[in-house]
Amino acid sequence: MPLITLDGVGYRYPEAERPALVDVSAAVEPGQVILLRGPSGSGKSTLLRCLNGLVPHSTGGEFGGRVIACGLDTRTHAPRELGARIGFVFQHPDAQFVLDDVEAELAFGMENLGLPGPLMRKRVEEVIDQVGINHLRRRRIDTLSGGERQRVAIAAALAVHPQALVLDEPTSQLDPQAAEDVLQVVMRLVAELGMTTVIAEHRVERIAPFVDRIWTLDAGVLKDQDPRAALAEGGARPPVVDLALRAGWTPIPLGLRDARAYAQRLPKPPPYPPPQAGEGISGKSICRVEGLEYRYNGVPAVRGLSLSLRRGQITALMGRNGSGKTTLLKLIAGLLRPQRGTVYADARAAYVPQDADALLFSATVDDELRGQPPEAAAPFQRWLHRYPRDLSSGERQQLAIAVVAAQADILLLDEPTRGLDPLVKKALSDFLRIRAAAGAAIVIATHDVEWAARTADRILLMAEGEIYADGPPGAVLSDSLVFATQISKLVGGGWLLPEQVPL
Amino acid sequence: MIRHPVAWCAWATAALAAAFIDRNPFLQALLLLIVINVFIPYRAGRRIRTWKIVVALALVPIIFSVALSRFGTHVLFTLPGIPIIGGRWTLDAALFGASTGAALLLTVAVFAVVQTTVRSADLLAVLPRPFYRAGTTVALALAFAPKTVSSLQSIREARQIRGQRAGWRSAPQLLLPLLLTTLERALQYGESLDARGFGSRSRSRYRPVPWTVPDVLVIVGSLAALAAIVLVPAQPYNPYLNILPSAPATNGILALLLLAIPAITVSLSRLDHAAHHA
Repeated sequence: MPLITLDGVGYRYPEAERPALVDVSAAVEPGQVILLRGPSGSGKSTLLRCLNGLVPHSTGGEFGGRVIACGLDTRTHAPRELGARIGFVFQHPDAQFVLDDVEAELAFGMENLGLPGPLMRKRVEEVIDQVGINHLRRRRIDTLSGGERQRVAIAAALAVHPQALVLDEPTSQLDPQAAEDVLQVVMRLVAELGMTTVIAEHRVERIAPFVDRIWTLDAGVLKDQDPRAALAEGGARPPVVDLALRAGWTPIPLGLRDARAYAQRLPKPPPYPPPQAGEGISGKSICRVEGLEYRYNGVPAVRGLSLSLRRGQITALMGRNGSGKTTLLKLIAGLLRPQRGTVYADARAAYVPQDADALLFSATVDDELRGQPPEAAAPFQRWLHRYPRDLSSGERQQLAIAVVAAQADILLLDEPTRGLDPLVKKALSDFLRIRAAAGAAIVIATHDVEWAARTADRILLMAEGEIYADGPPGAVLSDSLVFATQISKLVGGGWLLPEQVPL
Repeated sequence: MIRHPVAWCAWATAALAAAFIDRNPFLQALLLLIVINVFIPYRAGRRIRTWKIVVALALVPIIFSVALSRFGTHVLFTLPGIPIIGGRWTLDAALFGASTGAALLLTVAVFAVVQTTVRSADLLAVLPRPFYRAGTTVALALAFAPKTVSSLQSIREARQIRGQRAGWRSAPQLLLPLLLTTLERALQYGESLDARGFGSRSRSRYRPVPWTVPDVLVIVGSLAALAAIVLVPAQPYNPYLNILPSAPATNGILALLLLAIPAITVSLSRLDHAAHHA
């Protein structure tokens, strides 16, 4: 008998023109892992919120059909009653905690259930070990990083011994290392406890090998499919699946391990990366940086760094957290004053921060774009009267770039693809190419290797405030352990993307 | 270390009473010293980033008083006949404002101590059940204050990136975004509380804070101080009558010293540790 049943669920937010969910029917069997995917704004969060009754109890609106979760009908049972049975982890790491420190937070859900003290103590110890957060137990929540917070949130949800775990894009606000840590926790719960899990996640390549079903949402319409069938059809999917479809491998491998056996049939990759010289690198120099140094309270963030940027060039700046990427971008943008060295720029530089939301506060898109040239406002004609913060994350990102960087010829973007789905990422790539072709120099600080390999024509690797590798993607990313694309891990050599592999 | 929230509530009540009632400058200075000394051992490495705002807040009454009050005999200077602020500006008025400002500063300082020392979870745990939901609301509101400050900073940074003014004159434009982010956050909190089963049935308590001897000492000392402050109030300082403050009475000084107990217990336990190690 299914643990969760959705039966003809339809939902429309109050005052919305279109319904958010249309006739959704699906079931979750005990122990299943379900990946929910779909473009941003397709209704993923809404669907997940239906599972514990937050929709419609906390949102209002028109709700049709029914959801039976762990034997309770969400129409007659409030979310707080479902709280003991469905553990819910939200997207934003900072908005789901009530108390100030980790242990109190872990116990909060159990206190709400009125569990006896000794049992709570036992469970707190157990989830701390299960999730691997013993080192965090005495910390205050506000001193934790985003990834640590998400792990605490998972532990807190787990402590009440829920029958299912629902995670709403738990890694979309995190950098890749933190995201990896969080997903590892989820995968361990699945493997060790057989936890029934419904997860919305953009990092499909990481979890595809583990999932039992894939739910694909598009404009509120749900398709419930076998993983291979769903991935073959399209949407967000791992690069090995793209390669498998081109090469006609069946059954489709879902991860690197499955793909290894097929990969032996591929031709040998070229021993050296294919030459890519001349690609967009011939442009005029637009910005030069010499001997740049910057310290925060005496701790060096950028050390004696020199660099030159050319018109028409898209540069990806990669490196672990704290390697100085953001500081470098802010120095070039003039938001920080270099403590030593000089930035020579021949054009206006604009910086778009990680959290593009922070830039948008007007009542309408039209107000945000006031004072911008008409060509900058052109792509937003359809949304002019909408409230900027109601746009999807990808749309907000584009608007933020338009607002900040419309007239700049040096574009500095900090983690622009965080939390974006593949379609929006591709649109962002295209947009940046157009800007580069028009003569802009673009630098993107990113952790997203696949996107960088597809978008950039120059890669800079940064560590300890210094640049330690500089060159075209084929050369820099092909012999890297950390910054390698999935295809490069599979076949090696200079092939980074599925379409580059000759068949 | 004092951990029990009831002990801290007793301390805060007595300290606030002193801040409101004792308007003698000597007593105010002593109270400020005591509050700082209590704060330092309990701050656990945290800094108060908003102290500039607090000091500015304390300056407001001085400015208002000196600019608007025409009373007093110690004239600093005389402005020509401008409406409202024209006329004699007096030292008496400035001192009167300073006295009020000091009371404000002390009030904020006492709250700062409570915010650092009392964990909201402990406070919730000692609340009687009928107050539990209201208590959680208060805990959330307290948690909001520092987050609001940090979102204000990110909004100012965002305006700087967009090339807009970031000075104090832009404050009104910051207000709307601040309101929006706070509202959005509040909605998310509400959902999170709901999803985690808040208020579904009667609650139990995880690790209630045990009573210790220093806790009891703080409560007894604070109640004694409270009684002394309320029953035998210090002679209020009125610069318009006499610009020199009178010397405080001994019982007023003793009452304030009782408020130093939380700091003293920390020092004693450190001495104890040192003796053990020696």
